[in-house]
Amino acid sequence: MSNKKRYSMLASTAAVAFILAACGNGDTEDTTEETGNGTDTSEEVEDESGEDASAGDEVEPVEFDTRVENEGEAIDGGTLSIGYVSDSPFTGIFSTELYTGNPDAVVMGYMIGTLLGYDENYQIDDSGAATFELDQETNTVTMTIKDDVLWHDGEPLKAGDIAFAHEIIGHPDYTGVRYSGDLANIVGMEAFKNGEADSIEGITVVDDKTIEIEYQSVGVQMLQAGGGVWGYAAPRHYLEGIPVAELESAPEIRENPIGFGPFKVDNIVPGESVSYTAFEDYYRGAPKLDRIELETVPTSTAVAAMENAQYDIFEGMPTDQYENYENIPGYTNLGVDDTAYTYIGFKLGEWQEAETDEDGNIVEPAQNVYNEDAKMADKNLRQAMAYAIDNDAVGSRFYQGLRRRANSPIIPNFSDYYAEDLEGYPFDPDRANEILDEAGYKDTNGDDIRETPEGEELVINFASMSGGEVAEPIVEYYMQSWERVGLKVELLDGRLHEFNSFYDRVEADDPDIDIYQGAWGTGFDPTPEGLYGRFAPFNYTRWATEENDELMEAMTSTEGFDIEWRAEKFKEWQEYFMDELPVIPTLFRKAVTPVNNRVGAYDITVGEDPDTEGVGLHTLYLISEDRATE
Amino acid sequence: MWKTIIRRILLMIPQILILSILIFVIADFMPGDPFTGLIDPNLDPAQLEAMREAYGLNDPLPVKYVRWMRNAFQGDFGRSFNYQQPVTAVIAGRIGNTIRLSLLSVILTYLIGLPLGILAGRYNESVLDKTVLVYNFVSFAVPIFVLALLMVWIFGYNLNWFPARGSISINAETQWEIWMSQLYHLLLPSITTAILGTTSIIQYLRSEIIDAKVSDYVKTARSKGVPIQKVYTKHIFRNASLPIASGFGYTIVSLFTGSIFIEQIFTYRGMGYLFLQSINTRDYSVIFVLVLFYGFMALVGTLLSDLILMAVDPRIRID
Repeated sequence: MSNKKRYSMLASTAAVAFILAACGNGDTEDTTEETGNGTDTSEEVEDESGEDASAGDEVEPVEFDTRVENEGEAIDGGTLSIGYVSDSPFTGIFSTELYTGNPDAVVMGYMIGTLLGYDENYQIDDSGAATFELDQETNTVTMTIKDDVLWHDGEPLKAGDIAFAHEIIGHPDYTGVRYSGDLANIVGMEAFKNGEADSIEGITVVDDKTIEIEYQSVGVQMLQAGGGVWGYAAPRHYLEGIPVAELESAPEIRENPIGFGPFKVDNIVPGESVSYTAFEDYYRGAPKLDRIELETVPTSTAVAAMENAQYDIFEGMPTDQYENYENIPGYTNLGVDDTAYTYIGFKLGEWQEAETDEDGNIVEPAQNVYNEDAKMADKNLRQAMAYAIDNDAVGSRFYQGLRRRANSPIIPNFSDYYAEDLEGYPFDPDRANEILDEAGYKDTNGDDIRETPEGEELVINFASMSGGEVAEPIVEYYMQSWERVGLKVELLDGRLHEFNSFYDRVEADDPDIDIYQGAWGTGFDPTPEGLYGRFAPFNYTRWATEENDELMEAMTSTEGFDIEWRAEKFKEWQEYFMDELPVIPTLFRKAVTPVNNRVGAYDITVGEDPDTEGVGLHTLYLISEDRATE
Repeated sequence: MWKTIIRRILLMIPQILILSILIFVIADFMPGDPFTGLIDPNLDPAQLEAMREAYGLNDPLPVKYVRWMRNAFQGDFGRSFNYQQPVTAVIAGRIGNTIRLSLLSVILTYLIGLPLGILAGRYNESVLDKTVLVYNFVSFAVPIFVLALLMVWIFGYNLNWFPARGSISINAETQWEIWMSQLYHLLLPSITTAILGTTSIIQYLRSEIIDAKVSDYVKTARSKGVPIQKVYTKHIFRNASLPIASGFGYTIVSLFTGSIFIEQIFTYRGMGYLFLQSINTRDYSVIFVLVLFYGFMALVGTLLSDLILMAVDPRIRID
């Protein structure tokens, strides 16, 4: 529904996200898990994770439909209610330019309108309110607004509104967080930002419907949704009179916002709920529903709310409680691959700040410096550790099959780029032992624990985050698995770490951390440069090699406009990466959306045509006055 | 008396100052900052660093403290990172909810506590007294979050008598509907609070009344022929309620601070909920103001309690 924004600098792509826990700032598509404050472990689970976690009755990875259809006569109008499961309330800033947290993006999604749509690979297509064209020769993007697109107050959506969105973010008084290298890439943007120019030189409003934006350079990632083009519009006629510095507290943004989406805001209770009414003049046709009501539901009571059929659709349902809502009568669970993965990273170097000369010019940019003497620098050790753990079992035991073993750092959602045939590291302790023996990691003092090839004691420190019921048993399981191949792995400080302090220490290259478990949301751009590039601050492993640099360059080069060529480079990189293994990608995830059976049709397939019944909000209808309970 | 009050108020200034330094130092130890949680595919790391710089998060602690104090004296308590609003506006948006909830809770607490305490004291050793005592023990022993979860589960979900979350329905249009909807949302959390909040009221009242029954002034009154009912309402109740009056200052203050547990469990957007949320997301400016506010209210509460006690008990005089 709402088109995701994503910013990526050309120099260093910010294609990454912490999967947020206590703060719940995950990606829209991320079900916020790792949530909660409890570190309570369930005895039962821990036992299961014990001696023979790989044996016994395996739960197969769960397969979900992405579409549900319920037979029945559509009722006239009706109110659809949405339960938005989130522990952080929405702030209520209804502006793509000004909002910060993900909850705001969700509540905005029903009304703000989609300017640029995307296909199943998250690549921009013409399914939004405007068409999109990128000209590689002239470095320009041309967006053309379709006919009859109206703002909620009846004014037509104009090309000037797209320019206005850029002007808000580029304004010297701008208060938000959305300015980025992508926007600085527009010709004349920096001059405008510094107050040296009254307008942005590179942005030309050709006519009411057409806008041309000239960039200093264009890259293939700009074809992705949110991959570098600011594809949003702000109502100039409605907001023009307000100074940019005051916009985010203006009632036009917080109380009476307008968009060009299928529903308009009716009433807002800050942080709690929002109601929307149908926008009859929506350019794809008037919505069938009269009204949508959205309420924030805390993760702790989401299942109870579902058992009582309190909402028609649950957004952001927590996956770690799946067994509790797997079979609730009246609901159908839809699921898609989440744009995120879990991984175990190896610390292999340090972040080095930029070096400057006397005049403050950067001579050597800030970068990751690989240390070939690091404790984990031996690739054999890393591979053995990967073979020693059974992630299929983790997925089925701890996540009821909602997660499965990952074989690549590129998620399957990017079907063109994902190397499906890569074997990765299936559970194979014998192989692990073999590799370690060959690499010289042998037990020389008879304590069943391997020493380094130099004969020194080897203790690996493992950092992991607290939160969620399964956090601790999983970590225990991993450590036991490694012990079984003779590797001594200890929990950093003997405990799990709270989200903030965990990332503080990982980011600062704390020398006490050898390996760590984290998760990344990938956004809609497959390019892994922001996570594993030499100049990427989020490359927490600090792994950098020349071969990796070359492959990164190839994946982001303009030759990549030839998709097949680019896909080939992606596959080469994945093979190289999985062999070097600076991180073990551990789990791919599913995101689950429960839908009540009184909703006529609902479809969460990525990139589906919005006019297909069940996809666009305007096509939704109900088949009963009351929610189904069976 | 006024001298005392003024002296106490003047004393508050250094107390608040010390508190503010403490919070600043402790908050500085918290790992992470408001932007740690923001890292997502939509944000440029360089922009985050620029925001940190702009908000002055990279400055040394004393610099931050002096800047904050200087602004605070000019009535500017900073901006909330979370809500992108001035802290005062964020708190103003919550405090109404909290006052409503606390007020109803206090009223219900006294409505339950006073009669039960009086009756238990008057008819002590009776079945009624024993029942009240059992209730008292249980309500003292049960943690509030356990009862709150049970209440939500039973009345919010299973019986569907009350809304399980929120402070108002999205569909309330007229002023009357708004009031009614707010009241409806208040009932369950405030009843929960009231059920568990009565322990000290009942216990104090009961034992004071039992003591008073055999005291000389009661015997005198009875022997003068004052009817028993009047002895209870006029003589005993007044004396027995002194310990309760001493805590009344705190009760008034608690109207503003709210309950973290209750607000969290009922997802009720008040001060307690805001406090917890701010800590989780390192929303420093909100945390500072709230802790200072709570500290200030505690001081005011002590003062108020003393004054109330003085007003109801003529034997107490302060210079």
